[in-house]
Amino acid sequence: MPELGRFARELRALLWKPTVEREVDDELAHHLERLEAELRARGVAPAEARAQARARFGDPARIGAECREIGRSRDRAYRRTRWLEELAQDARYALRQLRASPRFTLVAVLTLAIGLGASTTIFGIADAVLLRPLPFLEPDRLAIVWEETPSRQAFSVSEPNYLDWAARTRRFSRVAAFAGRTANLMSDAGPEQLVGAGATHGFFPVLGVAPILGRTFTPEETAPGGDQRVAVLSHDLWQQRFAGDPRILERTVQLDGVRYRVIGVMPRGFDFPGQVQVWTPLAPSMSWPRADRRMDAMIGRLAPGATEEQARRELSAIAAQLARDHPTSNTDWGARVRPLTEWYVSPEMRARVVTLLVAVGLLLAMACANVASLLLARATARERQMAVRAALGAGRGRIVRQLLTESVLLSLLGGAVGVALSAAAVPLVRRTGSAAIPLLSTMRLDWRVLGFALAACVVTGLVFGLAPAARLARAASPSRRARTGTGPALHALLRSGTRLADAGAMRNVLIVGSVALATLMLVSAGLVGGSFLRLMRVDLGFSSEQVLTGSIVLPEDRYQPAQVVAFFDQLTERLRGLPGVRAVGATNIAPYGGGNTAMGWAALGREPANRSEYPIASWRAVTTGYFPALGITLRQGRLYDASDASAPRGSERTLVISETLARRAWPNAPAVGQRLRLGNGQTARVIGVVSDARLLAVDSAPAPTIYFSQSRFAFPSMWLTIRATGDAAALTAAVRREVAALDPTLPVARVQPLAQLVSDATAQPRLTVLVFGLFATAALALAAVGLYGLIAFGVAQRTREIGVQLALGAQPRRVVRGVLARGVRLAVVGVVIGGAGAYVTAGALRAILFQTEPTDPLTFAAVGAVLLLVAGAASVGPARRAARLDPVLALRSE
Amino acid sequence: MADPTELLHGTLDTLVLKTLAWGPRHGYAIARWLEAMGADALRIEEGSLYPALYRLERRGWIAAEWGLSETRRRVKLYQLTDEGRARLAVETAQWSRFADAVGRILHAPIDAT
Repeated sequence: MPELGRFARELRALLWKPTVEREVDDELAHHLERLEAELRARGVAPAEARAQARARFGDPARIGAECREIGRSRDRAYRRTRWLEELAQDARYALRQLRASPRFTLVAVLTLAIGLGASTTIFGIADAVLLRPLPFLEPDRLAIVWEETPSRQAFSVSEPNYLDWAARTRRFSRVAAFAGRTANLMSDAGPEQLVGAGATHGFFPVLGVAPILGRTFTPEETAPGGDQRVAVLSHDLWQQRFAGDPRILERTVQLDGVRYRVIGVMPRGFDFPGQVQVWTPLAPSMSWPRADRRMDAMIGRLAPGATEEQARRELSAIAAQLARDHPTSNTDWGARVRPLTEWYVSPEMRARVVTLLVAVGLLLAMACANVASLLLARATARERQMAVRAALGAGRGRIVRQLLTESVLLSLLGGAVGVALSAAAVPLVRRTGSAAIPLLSTMRLDWRVLGFALAACVVTGLVFGLAPAARLARAASPSRRARTGTGPALHALLRSGTRLADAGAMRNVLIVGSVALATLMLVSAGLVGGSFLRLMRVDLGFSSEQVLTGSIVLPEDRYQPAQVVAFFDQLTERLRGLPGVRAVGATNIAPYGGGNTAMGWAALGREPANRSEYPIASWRAVTTGYFPALGITLRQGRLYDASDASAPRGSERTLVISETLARRAWPNAPAVGQRLRLGNGQTARVIGVVSDARLLAVDSAPAPTIYFSQSRFAFPSMWLTIRATGDAAALTAAVRREVAALDPTLPVARVQPLAQLVSDATAQPRLTVLVFGLFATAALALAAVGLYGLIAFGVAQRTREIGVQLALGAQPRRVVRGVLARGVRLAVVGVVIGGAGAYVTAGALRAILFQTEPTDPLTFAAVGAVLLLVAGAASVGPARRAARLDPVLALRSE
Repeated sequence: MADPTELLHGTLDTLVLKTLAWGPRHGYAIARWLEAMGADALRIEEGSLYPALYRLERRGWIAAEWGLSETRRRVKLYQLTDEGRARLAVETAQWSRFADAVGRILHAPIDAT
């Protein structure tokens, strides 16, 4: 046995190896003695011999010191190589061990793969959404600023207010404003609607990103009256539409029928405020009405030394001053300063991701507990082996190291499988999630994520390996006890294979813990899932099935209000004539099409004293066909008709309003015939009340809504809503054809079934459900594996005891019942503890639940039942094996 | 060369390697062998042998083991490793070339140029 020889040699080396100090002293003393003795033998007098020897030798103190120093560095180098050799040896040994018990290895590797794969995936999400810095210069010095309504909602920024902010701020070294706008690009491929953004000249410098070609806007180009026919292209647009033409700066592009000079191309990946293909100059003007003319937001870079808090205080002070200067428009309005990251990730989203991180941490802990309990079960069988190694001189530390090498190796194997699982899951998560979280589209398995996976593997391996290793090392320590004379433990161990009782107790704790964690995860998943089902069943108040939608933006310089009205009248007329079309309407904002509009209102005669105290309603510009197309029904009065369209401009408006608004305005009287005062001071008469619809969010109550007639409003940017008799998507080509027949330069953008928009709107809860569902499945699988492992090993250990029972005439059925009861008993304890934990902590989920109480008793009961069933199922196999034992063989098995 | 510190760098190491070429020896025996070969002309402090031994050991050119001396005392016995043997061959070749060149220069006739 080569191993024995090696250990014997090591042991001898350990006992006989003197310290460097003794080694050197011994050696030098020997030399001097011999030299002196030889001189004396030649007849030199003793004192003279000593002096001569000393003279020939040199100074022993100096030479000794030199030797000791070299000797020490020699030993260090030796220890290093020895350590590496041992590590390689440990790894080889560990591999042999794992190969020797393939079933254990498979279960452990799969368990770890689930834990580590899930952790890696979730870390990838967190990395993409929370950790990766935005691709701008010093992104943590960037802030985004909105206005804040009197009711403390974020709101777009008025142009004059922005100009005042920009002129007065000292805490920002540089600011800029932007506004999303669509632009219709005309090219050889036909008309196409682009996502564009207007930006002031400070926009690119604030973000600290330079163009790869040409330049960005000059201050003159973003001042009122400047030459604004210039455009900066995104890298993607340049590549896709202009084939990366290097001479693009000499070209023009036709946007909304007007020629723009291309002055620059931004680098690949530069994308702000989001999916932008072309930037054009934005020229905010002081001469616009302060309340009306609005841009999306301001961005600013903090001045050197300034903190975000200082900037917040400064802008609040400026806003307060503006309110004093312009009371009609600015009273009670404020400024909201936030880190730029909030443009991408809302605090709610951040909470969601953090919840996921906690959940995945729990899952990993569960995997660790399970593998640790498997290792503990195996440890019993290996006590003898460890005792032998200890007897051969392997120290306790050496044995712990050997075992930790084994567990880290196991965890690396699990991690490799886990990363493979994760690689498969990433595209799924990206697809499901990027509609909800734009940053998720950047998620990938890169070196950061893989580095995390590797670190997680090593830490995990150490965590789950430590308890069994420590226990085995203790089992192996009889060699030490034997040395100190406390008893012939090694001898006893070698002969009997004594079991240590505490292994069972520790394993029970681990299994109960694992079941408790599974309960916690399953309850969370159950709550999220139940909440999702309720969300899917919620009555939206409109029907998105068989409805096609698409966006049309009429360029303002070619379409005056009257032409806008005429265009949409003609278009709806033509579309209605198409075969397969049941109803055609249009609205300025499709349900979940993005964006919202708000307007103050009050019942005439009961207006609050101050206009800023008016309650807020959403408003929509719609054509009459909109209501039947979406299945919104008339409750009182009538819908718009020709009389509203032909009413002279300047006469009092007529209004269709939603039920909620009608109920709030006139709780005790019919609304039709009543009059509303609007936030702009005008009055309007209610002619109809329609059913409520959740147009903004699936999970919030329908907002009070005012529907203006498009024929009076003439909104140039509209969404078509076309209800088909069959498949809505089949109408796409016909719709494009009809639009082109009216104006061949007009693109129809985002043509899609309305159901798609609805489904995108629920992408976030669906992502949460998907991830929690994956967790729950993994947790359930882990709990089942853990229980099975415990019970099977428990039965194996009690083979002798069961044999005795059977030999004494016990019914096999009783044996089965005993084993089953043991498994279920442990599971019950785990479920109770986990349930209590879930009861206490589920409140944290409240923010992401919809119409679901975090303590929903049905969920708790269902989870408990499922886990007990799993525990029972996991016990059946081992129990039946126990009952089939041959008593004689069982008794002999020791 | 009166001052032993002026002994050419590494020369002592080479001599020690050579000493061990015939088999394991302890430090005192190495010193006696060098003395017998006439090394007192080099005026080496016998003690400086030991740092050389530790240096060679650290480099892996020689290995030490504890054994019994001819006087039945526990002593450190040194022997050449395979690397040490290879090193000795290299050093010997270098020394020959070096001594050759120095010798040719010193014995060259004055009017040779």
